[in-house]
Amino acid sequence: MSGSEPLLKVTDLSVEFPTDDGVVKAVRGVSFEVGRHEILGIVGESGCGKSVTAMAIMGLLPSTARVTGSIKFRGEELVGLKPREMRAYRGNKIAMVFQDPMTALNPVYKVGSQLAEAVRVHQTVSRKQARARAIELLEMVQIPQAATRVDSYPHEFSGGMRQRAMIAMAIANSPDVLIADEPTTALDVTVQAQILEMLMGLQDQLDHAIVLITHDLGVVAGMVDRMQVMYAGQVVESGTADDVFYSPRMPYSIGLLGSLPAHAGTLERLKPITGAPPSLINLPAGCPFSPRCPIADSVCESTEAQLVAVNEGHLSRCHHVKELNEMPEPLRLFEGVVK
Amino acid sequence: MLFFVIRRVLVSIPLLLLASIVAFILVVNTGDPIEDLRTKPNVPKATIALREHQLGLDKPVVERYVTWLGKAVHGDFGKTIKNKPVWAEVSRSMGVTLRLVLFASIVSILVGVLIGVISAVKQYSWFDHGATTGAFLLYSLPVLAVGSFLKYVLAIRFNRWIGRGDNPLIKTIGESTPNFCTKSKPYNCGFIPSVTDFLSHAFLPMLTLVLISFAGYARFSRAAMLETLNADYVRTARAKGLSERRVIVKHAFRNALTTIATIVSLDFGALIGGAILTETIFEWHGMGRVLVESINKIDPNLLLCWFFVTAVAVIVFNLVADFAYAFLDPRIRLD
Repeated sequence: MSGSEPLLKVTDLSVEFPTDDGVVKAVRGVSFEVGRHEILGIVGESGCGKSVTAMAIMGLLPSTARVTGSIKFRGEELVGLKPREMRAYRGNKIAMVFQDPMTALNPVYKVGSQLAEAVRVHQTVSRKQARARAIELLEMVQIPQAATRVDSYPHEFSGGMRQRAMIAMAIANSPDVLIADEPTTALDVTVQAQILEMLMGLQDQLDHAIVLITHDLGVVAGMVDRMQVMYAGQVVESGTADDVFYSPRMPYSIGLLGSLPAHAGTLERLKPITGAPPSLINLPAGCPFSPRCPIADSVCESTEAQLVAVNEGHLSRCHHVKELNEMPEPLRLFEGVVK
Repeated sequence: MLFFVIRRVLVSIPLLLLASIVAFILVVNTGDPIEDLRTKPNVPKATIALREHQLGLDKPVVERYVTWLGKAVHGDFGKTIKNKPVWAEVSRSMGVTLRLVLFASIVSILVGVLIGVISAVKQYSWFDHGATTGAFLLYSLPVLAVGSFLKYVLAIRFNRWIGRGDNPLIKTIGESTPNFCTKSKPYNCGFIPSVTDFLSHAFLPMLTLVLISFAGYARFSRAAMLETLNADYVRTARAKGLSERRVIVKHAFRNALTTIATIVSLDFGALIGGAILTETIFEWHGMGRVLVESINKIDPNLLLCWFFVTAVAVIVFNLVADFAYAFLDPRIRLD
């Protein structure tokens, strides 16, 4: 758990995008914090606001985005910083690994010079030193023959190697916070495990905090200390990994767990959550999950639920937390549900 | 790389041959070069027959083609209808065209790319809307309209207005002042007077060419830049904490350059054939005029040489485009 002061503390963060069709409320009142050597998982399906949250922290949202709330890095407020001021944090104190390593590297520059560039933005070192650092970084992410590979172009790297190079770029300036946005989604399953292991190994060496964003519960399972589940721009459940995995108290989390192919080989059918997430322009009045929820009632459809404590450190945004607590097998909630 | 060049040169030989056959067929069917002579009254049959023989018109088309080709590969493009060497005429005209087209291209590429890049970076700003509308307007206007407007409405009036109607500051005709540098006027032969004379003549046709062609480059660069600005690697560059300027120039523009360079080289190849309409409006004696005159006067050898030079230019600059692409994008290999 976090020490006295969290490295990154996000409080009541909201992000809106004005569009021709109306205002898209991509993130609504999200709060969390991560401390040194801690891994926070943010889980949810596409469009739930998890990537927008990450981009808001990095200050990489388009200028049309309206960001409110607070993002504090070591107590320093990042919301409202001028682009020039934000650049001092970006890639330096807070770094990010993106989803698709095939397109995230610039195809016309050598991997080494892209790494060296990351070093030279924030450190005053000679070209030679930056190159040496690039080789060192490639060795840290276990690229074989780093001294020769430093002169390769991205297209000469495999997908897994490119993601390693992206991670090397992210840790170039020994950041305090590393945001990994779906770092393994575009990779082969075998490579996924290697990348995740490496992320954890690097954290042991460098002691930074990791915010791991994913839609894949399998990824976060053995890795994160705490996790929060997002739906329609809100945090709907948060707690330790054990809390959310073994005693989820929000039907959406239960649905996510049920759609995980956990019992490989048992020929059991996956239990999908029926329906689709709501439009972020026209949010329903009540709980945004109520149209898809098997236990929703009239209260759910009219009143928005608040985050309430289930246990110490375990929060759920559901009107029916009590019922779920009393259910003998809440994980079987979605079985046989056809709406 | 060497293998690629050799292969491309070898491939271009049959291509050129094919082009020359098509050109020959077109030229043969352009008209009768001695129609004048035939329709004139009281020309003795023997005279016509002699002329036909001189021009090789008495032989079958295939034989004429083979004869022409045999000489052409040795650099002999024959004589014009006025009995002057074709190559001398064409190379002189090419010089005139190159001076015009080279300067105009450089200016329109620089202006066009700059405007396109700024438009893309400031997408949907007033600058972008203005530049896009202006570029679209100029892009749609025929050369004839732009050139004539500049010449008759602006330049001639401007010259009169500043009181230089007789000795215009902005020349509207020709590529140079006739008899500008002669023995009687040695002071005109220095570097500065010749450049000044050239510029006063080149200003209008260059402006015409720039106005109608920069728009294309601007729109093209804007599209290319918008694509790269939204690329993942540009986001990565921003995430590193690079300055916006460096993100745009080193990451977005460097990638857009691949496509821009390709289109520029291809365009340039096509321009060697002459800015036909612009040269006609301003009465420049360049390649465009060679084409128009040789068709008007039915001058087969001159027309063939024009086709040949143009075909070579297009093929060469296609090769240049390939090289530019391979040079700028490490993913492309030339073998």
